Amino acid sequence: MTPSSGPGAPGPRAQPDAGTTGYALPTYPAVIPEAVRTGAAERHRVVIVGAGLTGLTLAADLSLRGIEAVVLDDDDTVGVRGASSRGMVYSQKTLEIMDRLGVFGRIDAKGVQWSVGRTLSGHDVVYTFDRARDSRSKQPPFCNIQQYYVEWYLVERVVELGRAQLRWRNEVVGVEAGADGVRLEVATPEGRYAIVADRVVDAGGANSFVRTALGLDSHPARSEDRWCICDVRFSRPMTAERWTWVDAPFNGGRAVWQHVMADEVWRLDYQLDPDSDPADAASLEVATARVREHLGPGIDFELVWVGPWQYRTQLLDEFVLGRVLFAGDAAHVMSPFGARGGNSGVQDAENLGWKLALVLGGQAPEVLLRSYSTERRAAAAENIRITTQSARFLAPRSEFERRLRTAAIDLARRHPFARTMVNTGRLTVPNEYPGSPVIAQGGGACLPNLPVGEGRHLMDAVAGNGLLGLYVPRGPDDRSHHRIAEAAAGVPASVVPLVPAGTPVPAGGLADASGEILRLVPAGPGDFIAVRPDLYCAGVVRDASPQAAADLLRFALAIGETP
Amino acid sequence: MTIRLDPNIEDPDRFYAEIVRRNEGLSPDESLDFALRLVFLLANQIGRNDVLLSCIEQAAQERRAGDRP
Repeated sequence: MTPSSGPGAPGPRAQPDAGTTGYALPTYPAVIPEAVRTGAAERHRVVIVGAGLTGLTLAADLSLRGIEAVVLDDDDTVGVRGASSRGMVYSQKTLEIMDRLGVFGRIDAKGVQWSVGRTLSGHDVVYTFDRARDSRSKQPPFCNIQQYYVEWYLVERVVELGRAQLRWRNEVVGVEAGADGVRLEVATPEGRYAIVADRVVDAGGANSFVRTALGLDSHPARSEDRWCICDVRFSRPMTAERWTWVDAPFNGGRAVWQHVMADEVWRLDYQLDPDSDPADAASLEVATARVREHLGPGIDFELVWVGPWQYRTQLLDEFVLGRVLFAGDAAHVMSPFGARGGNSGVQDAENLGWKLALVLGGQAPEVLLRSYSTERRAAAAENIRITTQSARFLAPRSEFERRLRTAAIDLARRHPFARTMVNTGRLTVPNEYPGSPVIAQGGGACLPNLPVGEGRHLMDAVAGNGLLGLYVPRGPDDRSHHRIAEAAAGVPASVVPLVPAGTPVPAGGLADASGEILRLVPAGPGDFIAVRPDLYCAGVVRDASPQAAADLLRFALAIGETP
Repeated sequence: MTIRLDPNIEDPDRFYAEIVRRNEGLSPDESLDFALRLVFLLANQIGRNDVLLSCIEQAAQERRAGDRP
């Protein structure tokens, strides 16, 4: 669940509320650049607006790729003031990215791994999934942790890497997109200054100033469905599983979410009576009574954070507008059912990071950035479609829809076929990129962080800005990868042999230790696979000639394309 | 895709009569619930997404046709 408490949410509340113990967030001192005093405009290659999950992921990613950036944030803390209880479910793909960025260890140490989700109706379990069953990644299927911890670790990592400047309490108050740069007006507590940036990445969240100032329509649609989060610490042991009730007897027959996070805090989330006053429904008295009914008598609990929320959808038509790129909630907003909000922001950043680094380094043409918009907008549209279906299942809009749902759930109590229709969220998996201009025949699969021998994983093998070319030799004497590398001279890519598990590994080669790479792509002897830094397969050449393999690498980076 | 609109039910009279029989004495709401359960059970026998979507489309069009004076 990653509730996005945008303007749809009734009145953000100061936290901690009187009566809740609240979350203790770090604060960072305001940064006052020299330009405030001198009045001279600063010039930067990359400015990231917004130090949230998406902006910080991109800052850390670019830092590791050797690209300097300035990050502007209007606040002085992680999380969102007054709404610090935000996202909490981090998917395998996000965890793999966090591993590459160097913060997975901290997330894993603090958070709670899980893989089993159960959906209940009344007192009966009507649907169960276990994502561990076919997981071969180095990272677990899911880890739950409060979003501010992830942001906190990323802030410290970005500072440690020393390439990005984090400027707290620097609020963008003006934006002018020009042909040779984007001019940002920035307000600090001690005055204003200007930055002219070659590229601006707007990760400013659902209410993005930059997006609004540029007059872009994000097609907002607001839900009627209202919920109330009660983050609760209590002593009764409960299994680390995702439990969702379609109709909980202890919540007036409405939906309830139950999920553990770090610090033994449980995210209990209650669907509200549509006729209730949300402010009243989120009052401590009502919240306490609700949690008491949920947990039963005799369980001591402490309310950590309480807040009402409702969701909305937004989607920009294009994620790239000249020199301005949009990522995370600034580009797309969706209901939280399926954990697709924060996780997709992280994947936006990962999709953009390597492309931006290659374009800024002159190793790939400008047009490569257009594929960021094509790929991630398609992902956002799919995520919105899927989360909207879940939201509609949870909040039927007519008597007919309610009866249709009841019929499906009644059948699901007894028959496996109907269980698959019970929809309390389809949890995020990496999206496919149909229509991508840089994914060729045979490509499109997103590979997990699979083992490649000697304790290494795919993510270790793609470290760097370029592509990873994998040639599957026809035998021990097949050295075609050398000829492919020669044919691809000048292309940012490394080409190595990939052999099936149990086969002797040639020098510099990788082993498909789990057998999953060749199964998922799929590919066999004589084939050439192009793997991108985000672990998406960019294409496969069957019976690869060196020239055809090199052509695939160029295609995947849009080399030779004109804007 | 094109769905079958030619006769394919083995014993149409029996099928119709059986639905009638099973709804005797039910309230309109109970009959609606019966019909919905039946939809789901039949859908699972068909399985194929293109057939199911085409049937839904056809049902929607039949209503529009029926609305015409």
